Amino acid sequence: MSTDLSQFKNAFFEESQEHLTTIEEGLLQLEQRPGDIDLLNRIFRGAHSIKGNSGMFGFTAVSQFTHKMESVLDQLRSSQMVVTVDITDLLLQCLDCLKTLIDCAKTGESPDEDQVARLGAQLEACQEGGIAAKPGAGADTPRPSVVPGSHHFTITWVPPRYLFQRGLDPVQFIKELGDLGSVTSVILDTSRLPALADLDAEQCYLGWTIEMDTVKDVKVIETVFDFVREDSTLTIVDMPPSADEPHSSSAGTKPLGEILVETGVVSQSQLNQALSQQKRVGEILVEQKIATPEQISEALRKQTESSAPAKKAETPSIRVDTVKIDRLINLVGELVITQSMLSDLGSRFEMSQLPVLLERVAQLERNTREIQERVMGIRMVPIGNAFSRFPRLVRDLSGKAGKKIQLILSGEETELDKTVIESIGDPLTHLVRNSADHGLEPPDERLAAGKSEQGTIRLNAFHEGGNICITVEDDGRGLNRDKILAKGIKQGLIAETDKLSDEQIWMLIFKPGFSTAEKVTDVSGRGVGMDVVKRNIEGLGGTVSIKTNAGKGTTFTLKLPLTLAIIEGMTVRVGKDTYIVPLLSILESIQPRREMIKTLVGKAELVNVRGTYLPLMRLYEVFRLEPELSDPTKAILLILETEGERVAVMVDEILGQQQVVIKSMEQNFRKVEGVAGATILGDGTVGFILDVRGLLEIARRDVSIAA
Amino acid sequence: MAKTVLVVDDSLTMRQMVAFTLTSAGYQVVEAGNGKEAVGKVTGGAKPDLVVTDLNMPEMDGITLIKEIRKMPALKFTPILMLTTEASDDKKKAGQAAGATGWIVKPFNPEQMMAVIKKVLPG
Repeated sequence: MSTDLSQFKNAFFEESQEHLTTIEEGLLQLEQRPGDIDLLNRIFRGAHSIKGNSGMFGFTAVSQFTHKMESVLDQLRSSQMVVTVDITDLLLQCLDCLKTLIDCAKTGESPDEDQVARLGAQLEACQEGGIAAKPGAGADTPRPSVVPGSHHFTITWVPPRYLFQRGLDPVQFIKELGDLGSVTSVILDTSRLPALADLDAEQCYLGWTIEMDTVKDVKVIETVFDFVREDSTLTIVDMPPSADEPHSSSAGTKPLGEILVETGVVSQSQLNQALSQQKRVGEILVEQKIATPEQISEALRKQTESSAPAKKAETPSIRVDTVKIDRLINLVGELVITQSMLSDLGSRFEMSQLPVLLERVAQLERNTREIQERVMGIRMVPIGNAFSRFPRLVRDLSGKAGKKIQLILSGEETELDKTVIESIGDPLTHLVRNSADHGLEPPDERLAAGKSEQGTIRLNAFHEGGNICITVEDDGRGLNRDKILAKGIKQGLIAETDKLSDEQIWMLIFKPGFSTAEKVTDVSGRGVGMDVVKRNIEGLGGTVSIKTNAGKGTTFTLKLPLTLAIIEGMTVRVGKDTYIVPLLSILESIQPRREMIKTLVGKAELVNVRGTYLPLMRLYEVFRLEPELSDPTKAILLILETEGERVAVMVDEILGQQQVVIKSMEQNFRKVEGVAGATILGDGTVGFILDVRGLLEIARRDVSIAA
Repeated sequence: MAKTVLVVDDSLTMRQMVAFTLTSAGYQVVEAGNGKEAVGKVTGGAKPDLVVTDLNMPEMDGITLIKEIRKMPALKFTPILMLTTEASDDKKKAGQAAGATGWIVKPFNPEQMMAVIKKVLPG
């Protein structure tokens, strides 16, 4: 049989991540609730599963290491050892090491042997500190070796009474013996059968004497009785085959099947079935595959997939609640019904049936919309996955910064697109670090300010409209207006004379290179991070805002679209073509007066918007279209912004606002400068989605050519 | 008719591997993530010809599951195999006392697993 399980490796890695998270969260909670057996059991199960699964794929380094962790955990949960800070520290270190080991198993790199050995030794030492390690379980006592060659065994077997009650079937044993050699005789022993009145039909009173020829040794024969050996009376006697021994059923001996049928153990049909299988040992599976061709093709497909050159790269996969899939399948079923109703209607359509047709089409629409929503829903995963790293992070940070920090998570079940979740991890980490390092004061300062010694960081996620909001809130000192202002002026980000609103001042901390921390710490203060946070969030089509209260704390709010596949867009017209501009990048739209337009040497144009000159781009020139309007004072200028830069884009008309589904240009055609993607518009035509970043590049080039 | 096997394991990977091996061999598979779910599947109408269960699981562990199954008239004589991580005698004995038929020791390869299944499941 060539069933290949390597295709499950990815599933293993993915599942292991979950177990690692469970273990980590558990260990962190354990510090607060050292006696919680449920918690210990959960941690133990996580380690246990990793051990079991990694063994299946031959990741022995992983399974051996986890085994050691598991032993310590086992002692903890059986209260043979007490949870101490040292033990949790050690286990957390081991967890990190285990993560590395699993990563190494994934990438094929070799792990840090020294660390593994060191931690392994520490675990063992820790375990011996509890009670002595359990002796290696179940090592079989050596048996006298048997000379290989042909054997003739006489096996006397009286199975335990409970045989049937444990789901065992004596015929299976005899069949299995038949697989190991040729069974020459089976004699039923009914001597233990009680009188009918005393007979309990669920008990087994029978015994058998089986004779067989085989090349296998006695150990192999014994394995047949593995599951009942302890409670059976079993003797296996090896008698060298004598020359005149009848080899198979001859006059004196009845065939095995016949006896079994006679004694009523099996029916003739069961026997025939068993016999037919016996002939095809090893082919049974193939045989049964033929019976279900779908399964063969499925298995073949899986096989070809897995036999493809082993890729070390991680294939992105997603775990979907089966309930979601079941609903989707139901919907597809409905869609099929609607479709068949429609084609039925179409095959003999008369005008009188028009209302029916319209009704069916409406139904089709409903089905389609619902399927669309559900399919989108598949990509939605709870944000808790992204939050899970923070308890550990905050624990480490509080140690390093010498502050007492409490982390409160809420809204973990809020769902959003997997891609978004993957991309917000780093920005969130920066924000949490920032809060821990800058936001929260050291304990003495807090006490002096009349606050509790322990600072709190709160992470929350919730839906708001079509967006998801994530807040990172601390109850620290709040942002210092004067300090930020002074720093901004010093770094030349703003002029001393600038009149800035509070919001504008807070946003300064997202400028590259900005940091007000007096000393650079291990954690933050290097001025990298906050600008990256803003850039990442904007890259996802989101926004960052700050609310702060001097002495009370700061809240960062990230607002993100639920999915990257759909954007809110403004549809605009240039000549006969429709373009979509991402709504988030539009600041305003204006119709300029003549004197606002300046032309540079060459042909680059600028437009003066309230004292700021912005490059003016005529979209019809960029895409070489035939415009309806070529006079900027008659057309509309959209002021677009991305990453703090602005550009004025000239279009003929604004058509409206709508949600559009983004189709990739690269995947369907090729990359086009200034175009982020395409979408199908309501009338079936293709509309291009403008790439504001790309347009800015083009504008910059034009200006520099002109200059 | 293809035989039905109820596979119970809280580890999705393990469950999928066991299920895949079984379906490849032509068996029908019903999956459950813990003992409670397994009992639910059976009371919900699943009629397994064989139960393969992990022992250490949340909600309801394997041993309790085995006891529950043996209480059901329809599954009184159905073979039950335990998935155990090591040849730990305590676990095996407890499982057998509860009514388990036998065990499969992890790690195993598909051939080893099918060999054990063939031991207990009449063709």
